[in-house]
Amino acid sequence: MSEIKRNTLSPAEPPKQTNLSSTERIKQKSDGLRGTMIESLEDEVTGAIREDDQSLIKFHGMYQQDDRDRREERAEKKLERLFSFMIRLRLPGGFLTPEQWVALHHIAGEHSTGTIKITTRMTVQLHGLLKSHLKPTIQAFNSTGLDSIATCGDVNRNVTCAAHPMQSEVHEQVHAYAARISEMLKPKTHAYYEIWLDEEKLADKSEEEDPLYQDRYLPRKFKVGIGIPPNNEVDVFTNDLGLIAIIENKKLKGFNIAIGGGLGATHGNPDTYPRLATTIGFVSVASGDEKLLKAVYEVCTIQRDYGNRSDRKLARLKYTVDKYGAEWYREELERRTGFPLEKARTVTFTDRIDYYGWQQNHKGLWYYTPFIESGRVLDDEKVAMKTALLEIARTGKANFRFTGNQNLILADIDKKDKAAIGEILDKYGIIKHTDSASALRKNSIACVALPTCPLALAEAQRYLPVLIDKIEELLDKHELSNENIITRMTGCPNGCGRPYAAEIGFVGTAPGHYNMHLTGDHEGQRLNRIYKENLDEAAILRELDLLFWLYKKERATGEKFGDFAWRQRWYKQ
Amino acid sequence: MLTTPKLKTLQELIAGATKEELIWLSGYLAGVVAQTGVASVPAGVLPAAQEPEAPAKPSVNKITIAYGTETGNSKKLATDFAAKAKKKGINAKLVGLEQYRLTDLPKEEYFFTVISTQGDGEPPASAKKFYDHIHREKLQLGQLKYGVLALGDTSYPLFCKAGEDVDQQLQRMGGQRIVHLQKCDTDYEAEAGSWFEGLLQKLLSNTAPVVSAPVTTARKSTGKKIQTGVILHNVNLNDIGSGKQTYHLEIAAQAEYQPGDSIGITPENPRDIVEAILSLTGMNPAHKVIFRDEEFSTSDVLRKKLNIVFLPERVVKKYAAIVGQDIPETRMGLLDLLKIYPVKDSAQFTEVIGILEPIAPRLYSISSSPEAHGGEIHITVAKDTFVVNGETKHGLCSDALSQLCTDQELEFYVHRNLQFKLPAEDKDVIMVGPGTGIAPFRSFLAERDATGASGKNWLFFGDQHFTTDFLYQTEIQNWMQTGVLTRVSTAFSRDQKEKVYVQHKMHRHAEELYRWLEDGAYVYICGAKEPMSVDVENALLSIIQQQGKKNAAQAESYLNDLIETGRFVKDVY
Repeated sequence: MSEIKRNTLSPAEPPKQTNLSSTERIKQKSDGLRGTMIESLEDEVTGAIREDDQSLIKFHGMYQQDDRDRREERAEKKLERLFSFMIRLRLPGGFLTPEQWVALHHIAGEHSTGTIKITTRMTVQLHGLLKSHLKPTIQAFNSTGLDSIATCGDVNRNVTCAAHPMQSEVHEQVHAYAARISEMLKPKTHAYYEIWLDEEKLADKSEEEDPLYQDRYLPRKFKVGIGIPPNNEVDVFTNDLGLIAIIENKKLKGFNIAIGGGLGATHGNPDTYPRLATTIGFVSVASGDEKLLKAVYEVCTIQRDYGNRSDRKLARLKYTVDKYGAEWYREELERRTGFPLEKARTVTFTDRIDYYGWQQNHKGLWYYTPFIESGRVLDDEKVAMKTALLEIARTGKANFRFTGNQNLILADIDKKDKAAIGEILDKYGIIKHTDSASALRKNSIACVALPTCPLALAEAQRYLPVLIDKIEELLDKHELSNENIITRMTGCPNGCGRPYAAEIGFVGTAPGHYNMHLTGDHEGQRLNRIYKENLDEAAILRELDLLFWLYKKERATGEKFGDFAWRQRWYKQ
Repeated sequence: MLTTPKLKTLQELIAGATKEELIWLSGYLAGVVAQTGVASVPAGVLPAAQEPEAPAKPSVNKITIAYGTETGNSKKLATDFAAKAKKKGINAKLVGLEQYRLTDLPKEEYFFTVISTQGDGEPPASAKKFYDHIHREKLQLGQLKYGVLALGDTSYPLFCKAGEDVDQQLQRMGGQRIVHLQKCDTDYEAEAGSWFEGLLQKLLSNTAPVVSAPVTTARKSTGKKIQTGVILHNVNLNDIGSGKQTYHLEIAAQAEYQPGDSIGITPENPRDIVEAILSLTGMNPAHKVIFRDEEFSTSDVLRKKLNIVFLPERVVKKYAAIVGQDIPETRMGLLDLLKIYPVKDSAQFTEVIGILEPIAPRLYSISSSPEAHGGEIHITVAKDTFVVNGETKHGLCSDALSQLCTDQELEFYVHRNLQFKLPAEDKDVIMVGPGTGIAPFRSFLAERDATGASGKNWLFFGDQHFTTDFLYQTEIQNWMQTGVLTRVSTAFSRDQKEKVYVQHKMHRHAEELYRWLEDGAYVYICGAKEPMSVDVENALLSIIQQQGKKNAAQAESYLNDLIETGRFVKDVY
């Protein structure tokens, strides 16, 4: 330890924090995240749960929401708000067997709006569950081997991992870390099993003692992502902890460790900002996994001990890093793990895309990536995606993998089964649907926003497809249709759709109005900046018309839109 | 008991009085006592010592006075009669028809019935068993001497039908009618009083029974006070997606009422139908016709007085006779009848007008409280929807009410319900009111809230769906929060695979429900007569049996005790 030079400005002991936020108190007195959840569920007069339980249910993978479009009219009808719940699955690395997809399909139909939403963090969530449907839903998931533990709340969330098995021959090996990290950072409380699955109370409470989370959990959510260069489709630098696989000669050597990514910000609060993760070193896995897992664990405990617990807006790990310094964080990590980090390896990301259509991996297995707009799997007037996927799942011949772009991959298809799957895709027009979607559309992300998200200030998922129709016309006009410009929209500044890591980002400010962000790079290594504020649709299109014209006229060969914008300094000075 | 001057005055008064004056006085005093509420005991049990003079021994010793009551008027009259008879030294047994042991009927010698008529000529629910019994069984009532006083409302087509039926049926089975059938309108007090006075004289003098024709009072304006209210607010309480429409109307009106009362509304026929009828028959709209001693123009009588939208079978039959055609016996609208089986000319149509029945008023339970909603009357109206020959139709009155807008006027009268009243303020109340059955309970709860009543309140509510059909949900939540409602149990039948109804929720809380009963709680049921009220009553019986460890007969007698003491009351339709 003596070799580590300590930054004298940094505390040797975690500071004793006073003035804790109300959520901190709720967590501490929750009796292992139990709270009064059972009483809340039994209350027949309201579709909501009690206020404190609304904080706790997140740890069980659910959010209470209400249909904001319906508030006023329901109040006049003497009805309470139309409360419902969103449930999100814990799917480390985003993987479902075909049997699990069939189960998910039916659970969605029976208990939720029916739409299966693939998230930006490689899992799926269902919306519109009534309180009375929560237990049956979780029990149905449980019987197919799925859970929603810790997919929301102040804990480690779903672990993402570069999705496409054709990316690398060590994909499987890297992918396995997602599940192991998820398991290691899972809360120990038995509450989930008691509340939702009617399991007996533990006789011996010491079984659920939790040295990692103790009774206070983390100050805020904690996200881990694993990237495999050269494709950064998981947006690895937007995580609290990013692990970048270092592969040499088709062998996994270890991981670069990057800390302090996170995109949330609050309008009008300059203390909040999006941030990309800072790489602080490398951990080898040459002599086993122990060191890597230890490092991951201790990154978490440092944030637990030093993260801000009085202001939730400043509680993410990125603020802890900026408060104490990345260097200090590395030193503290080395102190806690008992070994030094190696010098970070050089990595190059060249892209951030999904591999649409048919692809084959090194073992000869086949993969088909269809285009799913905004990650919403449903049957609509354009395409019967949900029915098609059910039919494919029923063949049992394709696994389901999710990507960080709200997409899925029909995966691990044997050569002899490819034709059968292809036939179904063709029958439902999926192939045509995917091929005809523009590069712009295929590289877009929108968050849920209105009407369900309580934070939304403007539309996103319901509006972006319409806006893209119009942007496509402009690209056509300037002969730029083949450009896969990364476009993302969120209904608020909290960053769920990662708009700050887009080449064109739209962040909702008010109904029909967005801040337009430009100059982010294509690979996700440079955040964008505000270009103009509070634009309505007409203004957005007017601006883009001009910018595309300039881009077409003056770009260097192969220059990406984000890089061109950066070179032109298209941001608010 | 009386001070000397008071006693002296009384003695002077008595000394100079005739026998008739004394009888009047005693009735008057009993009335005063009853009205001031000093005596909650029926006037009939006033001690005989208050009798001014020992009556001559009557020639008839024992009579039975049985009542069939819905809203309490028949009971009030019967109680009054029994008291008068007792004062004359006649042993009058007072009994409700729902309590009456049917096997006693052939043993009766003197049997007098006061019975009202509901809806389309039906007996009150409490008299249904008796009514069915005398119509179904072949009884020998050779020794029976009887009389019937029928209460009704001339604004309904089958005025006093239940009373008529009982009167005829008792005669058919060998009973001897010793007093004419008296049919009374809503202002029944005077006629009923003199009818019984006459009967008493007969019994006392034991003159030969006079069998006279039934008497209907000469028609005059009814005692109902028609009032005009102004619509303040009208809102459909069901949310989008509901299979139901339930309107909450707030009406500004200075009407006197109590929680538990209803208002009666007579709907007008749609203008377009009246016009179509007039043009089809070539009838002069201004042609004068007489309806119930009043002169109207044909268009007015068709619009405001006569039922033309949905003729009962009996009217269709009469119509067939007039036009001389074979018409299937089914319910039909007059317009359809005229189209398919036209009248010869306008003269024949005048004949048709003669067979039409009046538009019956519809009763709606008041859902407001005089204490909480001063100057207003609220009602809760389910829009009646039904399908005739594949065509969706709506009930005339509920349809009209659903379309009323703010500031429109509405004519109504207050229909008292003496039975369905809140108990003393410290008594506990159990209310079972699914669907629009909630209406009087909203009134009860608002009243108890406003008056600060100390008794506990338990509401059972049910409907199809929690999210769209929870009538008055936010008000119920407020009453829960302020403690006015001690408990609320809900049953939403279509939110899960198995249908769940209020009676199932009663079973679920059987133990506590029985404890409330044992502690003296009052039980009220409002809503659909069948199957709801039957199922609820059966549930209650089985709870009493189970929880009280009783056999079926004991449970029945427990419930009968509740009925007799006014602790089990229904307002069903």
